[in-house]
Amino acid sequence: MFAEWLFAAFSILAVLGGIGLVTFRHPMNSAMSLVVTMISLAGLYALLSAKLIFAIQLIVYAGAIMSLIIFIIMFLNVRTEDLPEEKGRFLYLFGGVVVLAPVFFFLKKIIQSIPATKATILGDGFGGIKEVGLVLFKDWLLPFEIVSILLLVALVGAVVLAGKRRMSK
Amino acid sequence: MEHTVSYLGLIPLFPLLGALILGVMHISTCTGKPFSEKLYGVLGCIGPVISFIYALIVYFQLKGMPADSRFLIHDAFTWFSVGDLHITMGFLADPLSSLMLVFVTFIGSLIHIYSVGYMSGDENFGKFFSYMNLFLGSMLILVLGSGPVVMFVGWEGVGLCSYLLISFYCKDTDNVLAGNKAFIVNRIGDLGFVLGMAFLFWAIGASGFDYLSLRENSHLLTPGIGLVVCLLLFVGACGKSAQIPLYVWLPDAMAGPTPVSALIHAATMVTAGVYMVARFSFIYAHVPVAGAVVAWIGILTALLAAIFGMFQHDIKKILAYSTVSQLGYMFAGVGVAAYSAGIFHVFTHAFFKALLFLGAGSVIYALHHQQNIWKMGGLKEKMPKTYWSMLIGALALAGFPPFSGFFSKDEILFSALASGHTGIWFIGVAVAGITAYYTFRLIFVVFHGQPRDKKAFDHAEDAPAVMTIPLMVLAFGALCAGFLNLPGIFGGNLNVSHWLAPSLVEHHPHTSLTVELLAMALTIAIIVTGIVIAYKKFASGAEEPEYTGFAKFAYNKFYVDELYNTVFVQPYKAIGSVIWKSLEPNVTDIHVKVSSWLYRKAGTGFKIFQVGYVRVYAVYMVIGLSIISLLLSQSLN
Amino acid sequence: MIQNYLILSVILFCIGILGVVSRRNVLIVFMSIELMLNAANLAFIAFSRFHESMDGHVLALMVMAVAAAEAALALAVVILLHKHKGKLDTDVFSLLKG
Repeated sequence: MFAEWLFAAFSILAVLGGIGLVTFRHPMNSAMSLVVTMISLAGLYALLSAKLIFAIQLIVYAGAIMSLIIFIIMFLNVRTEDLPEEKGRFLYLFGGVVVLAPVFFFLKKIIQSIPATKATILGDGFGGIKEVGLVLFKDWLLPFEIVSILLLVALVGAVVLAGKRRMSK
Repeated sequence: MEHTVSYLGLIPLFPLLGALILGVMHISTCTGKPFSEKLYGVLGCIGPVISFIYALIVYFQLKGMPADSRFLIHDAFTWFSVGDLHITMGFLADPLSSLMLVFVTFIGSLIHIYSVGYMSGDENFGKFFSYMNLFLGSMLILVLGSGPVVMFVGWEGVGLCSYLLISFYCKDTDNVLAGNKAFIVNRIGDLGFVLGMAFLFWAIGASGFDYLSLRENSHLLTPGIGLVVCLLLFVGACGKSAQIPLYVWLPDAMAGPTPVSALIHAATMVTAGVYMVARFSFIYAHVPVAGAVVAWIGILTALLAAIFGMFQHDIKKILAYSTVSQLGYMFAGVGVAAYSAGIFHVFTHAFFKALLFLGAGSVIYALHHQQNIWKMGGLKEKMPKTYWSMLIGALALAGFPPFSGFFSKDEILFSALASGHTGIWFIGVAVAGITAYYTFRLIFVVFHGQPRDKKAFDHAEDAPAVMTIPLMVLAFGALCAGFLNLPGIFGGNLNVSHWLAPSLVEHHPHTSLTVELLAMALTIAIIVTGIVIAYKKFASGAEEPEYTGFAKFAYNKFYVDELYNTVFVQPYKAIGSVIWKSLEPNVTDIHVKVSSWLYRKAGTGFKIFQVGYVRVYAVYMVIGLSIISLLLSQSLN
Repeated sequence: MIQNYLILSVILFCIGILGVVSRRNVLIVFMSIELMLNAANLAFIAFSRFHESMDGHVLALMVMAVAAAEAALALAVVILLHKHKGKLDTDVFSLLKG
């Protein structure tokens, strides 16, 4: 019962954060809304017994990536008058909702066709660092290595893109 | 298989490889600094020389075999198979092709060496040698091909190279036009050749389309089809070997550099037609009518070209018409079924014509590209080596005993007489006299008398050794080649004819010795008369005459070029321009225009969707997603 | 139970799409994409929980890694865009216009 209340609270917070993200005019406000969503999602992960992902969601996502985004927003020093004038954005959002409604209802239909299963009691180790680590390094070793290369490439790419360039001829 | 030798395919390969290497070298340096002429020269000559060595090896290997089974084959690979038709890239060396092989590579090599001197200083030195090697390689494929299809590869190859080389000095429009003319006239002949080949295949080609199988099956050929095949093949030969009515390209082919003329006229290209007729002797022998047509066209060509030759003033044109005339003799020979005589004349002609052309080239080179004989004169003192070698060539061309031309020409004339073609023999003897006249007209005007152009005369001198040595070698050949086929009455035993016999289908007619001697004496008398008349008229320095009447008519080559121009070329051009201007844009191109219009309109229509804003593209994507969702959720229930 | 999580995931995903298609601010568009990635992660974790397998966790980790890489590159691009035009408006960049 307590878990249901928590789920309701977190999901409402997450949706509100998402709505805030797409409606606020200033990116800083949007970013803060996104942080709310991220933290709520972390709570949901905890409800789903994903301990490691819960921790990483808080540390890496809500912590590192979001602070990077906020740092960039501050670095660019965006003033309100520099922002694009988006007078019709609510109209656009409304149009978007209309267009997306079929998608949503289609997905909903599919989800409701999944047989309802009661959550079973899990063993102690589910979602812990050791267990996820074992799966990661036993069954998912190659994708893991590929992702590490991807990160390296992204690092180099970011340096090349944003770094100071020498004046080309 | 004792008859299979794998090096046969290498013979054409060396010049072709040389052509490739030289061509790549030339192209890669055409904007920068070119390679040295020495390098080009060595690379250009090495291929022909190696081919010559291999040709000798082939010859000696054939010589070591029993006379009735003298042939070597090499099937390099299967070129293509269509239904019953399996064409291999095969090479065949038998006595006929080995004879051709030896003298083609020998004279080709000499001409290449001579060219190193002649072409020095030309900016397209590398290109020239590349083309020359390609030319020789194509000719070797033509000669060595084991069947008509492989021969056709070489046939087209020499056609292409003649075009490239005739229009070698391509900055001058006239040269390019001459190249075009050669190419187009050759195409007409090639059409005949292709049709003849197709008929031959249709008739007897099903069980193997190479010479050996065709020869075995030749008795299956009905006379009607045989005649058609022979005449169509002869059309091809007419184009390549410059016979009436397709001879017009050869005199114009003089636009190319002189070694090219020598190569075209002596070793390659024009001899291809005679070779082809001799190669198909097993068909021609069955169809005497076709042979008679060939012989008459040949001898008429000989007469016509000899008449033209009497009145020309360009040294190379005189030689060109003499070539056409001699080719006429050869066709007369193969036409009266004296194939070995015809081929022997090809052989001796190769020597003395190459000699004359290279000599003429030396004269032109010495006089800084002066080709008008009425601007020359008295060069005997200045260019003794050239004079003596050209004199030998002229005597051989005129058919004066004991030079090579005498034996081969006499052999042809005698065969014509012996096989009952008295008319051909009579014209042939007359042409021999005319030939002697115009040949010595050339010699006397150029080398005797007083110099007509003092300034050029003073600077004239013999060419460097790289040019004169080939001349002397060829002079020796022109002098002695005739003894290879000494007829019985001079104590010989017709070595070349016996050598060629296994490749050919011919019989040697016999007449009484008296007739033979009388005919020979008459020929010699006519030739001497021709030389004497030329001596009287030109030896002491005549000036260029004003031609009137018949002479003017002959000087202008009977206006044949103009006639062809009005009858064929202009109407063809007119039809072409009508099609180009009205038919093509309004009828044949209409669907192209409509579809392009449609695409253009559709393009402008769809352009409005390309707004350029990223999010709008995302909207398109979402709309698509939405539609798919709608459709799928319909079907989900 | 699982349906609730999945529907929440779909809702968040749709909100992300809405942000991408209707906003012109580059940073907000970028964050909307992050939101979509998170929605996908939620679905992974939910499935993982109800199938009692931890492969979904691993996939979520990978998505985070990719998101981190994307963040690094996308922010670099945003900086460049801002340098060039001094604006964060996506409609300024319309070089693809036909």
